Amino acid sequence: MAFQEVIFWVLAVSSVAAALGVVLLRDIFRAALLLVVVFLAVAGFFVMMNAEFLAVVQVLIYAGAIAILIIFAIMLTREVQQGNLPNRLQPAAVLFPVLLLAALVFVAVDTDWNLLQDQSRELQDNVEVVQTHTIGGIPDEMRGDIPGSDRSGLGELLINDFVLPFEIASMLLLAAIIGALVLVRER
Amino acid sequence: MPETNLTSNLHLLLPEFLLATLAFAVFAIDLLLPANRKKLLAWVSVAGLIGLLALALALLWGENEEMYGGLIKVDSYALFFKSFFILLGIFIILSSVDYVGKHLSHPGEYYGLILFSVLAMNVMAASREILTAYVALELMSFSFYIMVSYARYNPRSNEAGIKYVLIGAFSSAILLFGISMLYSTIGVTHFADISATLANAGDASPALWVGLALILVGLGFKVAAVPFHMWAPDVYQGAPLPVTAYLAVGSKAAAFALMLRLFAEAFMPSIDDWQIIVAIIAAITMTVGNLVAIAQHNIKRLLAYSSIGQVGFLLVGIAALSETSPLASNGVMLHIVGYSFTNLAVFVGIIAFFNMTGKEEIADFSGLADRHPFLAAAMAIGMFSLAGLPFFAGFTTKFYLFTAAANEGLLWLAGLAIVNSLISLYYYQVEIRHMYIQPAPDMEGKLEPASAHNPHPPPVGGGAEDASRHSPTPLIIGVLILMVLGTFFVGVYPFPIVEALDAATSAILPGAGS
Repeated sequence: MAFQEVIFWVLAVSSVAAALGVVLLRDIFRAALLLVVVFLAVAGFFVMMNAEFLAVVQVLIYAGAIAILIIFAIMLTREVQQGNLPNRLQPAAVLFPVLLLAALVFVAVDTDWNLLQDQSRELQDNVEVVQTHTIGGIPDEMRGDIPGSDRSGLGELLINDFVLPFEIASMLLLAAIIGALVLVRER
Repeated sequence: MPETNLTSNLHLLLPEFLLATLAFAVFAIDLLLPANRKKLLAWVSVAGLIGLLALALALLWGENEEMYGGLIKVDSYALFFKSFFILLGIFIILSSVDYVGKHLSHPGEYYGLILFSVLAMNVMAASREILTAYVALELMSFSFYIMVSYARYNPRSNEAGIKYVLIGAFSSAILLFGISMLYSTIGVTHFADISATLANAGDASPALWVGLALILVGLGFKVAAVPFHMWAPDVYQGAPLPVTAYLAVGSKAAAFALMLRLFAEAFMPSIDDWQIIVAIIAAITMTVGNLVAIAQHNIKRLLAYSSIGQVGFLLVGIAALSETSPLASNGVMLHIVGYSFTNLAVFVGIIAFFNMTGKEEIADFSGLADRHPFLAAAMAIGMFSLAGLPFFAGFTTKFYLFTAAANEGLLWLAGLAIVNSLISLYYYQVEIRHMYIQPAPDMEGKLEPASAHNPHPPPVGGGAEDASRHSPTPLIIGVLILMVLGTFFVGVYPFPIVEALDAATSAILPGAGS
């Protein structure tokens, strides 16, 4: 087994096991800690897929900021509910996610991902594509040619082609901050 | 990459920039005003929006240009919806003034958030790239999350806020998952590229179809299509009334502006695959919405279900889209316009009623026609129009939609839609019967001490709380008159609007010459 494959399986098993723990543990604090493990494992996947930037962001924001936020929220909440209360929709709540999961697994197995990559490359050669840049998801041999497959390219995209969604995202954060203030502040 | 033209046509975004500036100005002025002068903020917002509308029409008329490498397109479709959303913002702010003064704190942020959401809706209608559209959709949703929970000392409003945030986050996740599936299979996110890929795809992979399905589900949650509708009644009931009106009209119109462009410009080549799915969702949505509406006792819940029914009608239009005919696309847009006038007429009537009495059960409206004949007449007109009776907007717009569906071979859907219109007539009639035939419960006005009555007409809004208990303020009446006139205008003489719609449709469906 190649070294990469060993790493993959370690990450895969630990992330799935930790995710199961998040859902199944009754102690919400331990569940939160296991969530950090999931975040870190996903960061590992990003590294393996040559998406270093995403990996760094994942560790900084998810494993760092968000996990701490969740833990603070738990510590500041006086009576933490132990586990979920049962209700009459439980059978449906099991059935539908299982069906959805089955469908997604089927799709993931049934889709010929390599063929698609060829197709989309063929498309980019043949059809006149408006989009000149993509973020991630680029076949290895095309990396380097395309700005956006590396960090500086990503930054360039954010202030050039994608500056508009970037700015809208900043307004979104502003709206969220204003909302938090309005809803928490006394009259 | 072409770096040169990134800023050369930046002036086309001037309305958006100024709209953001206006929002910031409102936030800033809010800091300087004493607590009893906050009404000025509404006038600033309205004046700014009117100026923006004039500017947008003067600046962008006839423009047809892409920006940021095709990320958004400033065309007649975008301009049509820009004018529509700005007008909607004006009317929502005007109908909020009294309510906000009485029932809500932090008016500055309230008007600012409305401006933010108008900005987001404008971008949603203009964007031709799926992530840009998504981010704009999120900006709109966030503004709504906050506005829904704005009555923070009201437990129902809190519940509505939490439900809306959770369902909104959940549906955004589904939408994003769908977008990521789409992107991972075809590697492009611009509408034009998606369309080119789908046209060449032939036997496309299951992952692509699941991606498209998840996008449809995510958008279905946002517009409250059945079976993704269960949040709507609770959120509509809990939200402050003007926000409910805005939610019912604005968020739906914007989501359909996005959907229409997405389906017409990006997903059109594979219409054979999704048409039947959208048609089935449309059929379930209007049937469930209209049937459940019959059982409602609260006027906001009734209108929530009725608006779910209207979403079904709009989805009929999406299912009937065609590359060669402008009928369905025109129909969707016309129905959005007509539905907005109509629904706002009803909602503004309810707001006026609530400002006077603080009640919102259907039975509370008994005898309204005796006490406030104009109010009752305006609401009755709105409800007849919602049901689709002739001479009102609802008839004309539904006529367009159902004709489009029949032309595309969806006769069963058109038939079902007509049956549903008949069902809806029943529960609107119940409300109208309360207003006109049931005697008044004989309590309002008599419980008030006579000293509270102020003979002078109130100077609109919060300061004159006691006077406004007895009659609707002139402002609300003015808005109501405009909405009723709009309902008749769309219903009787829709041709000027249809002309604008033709231009808008030819921007998103170049093949559909009229």
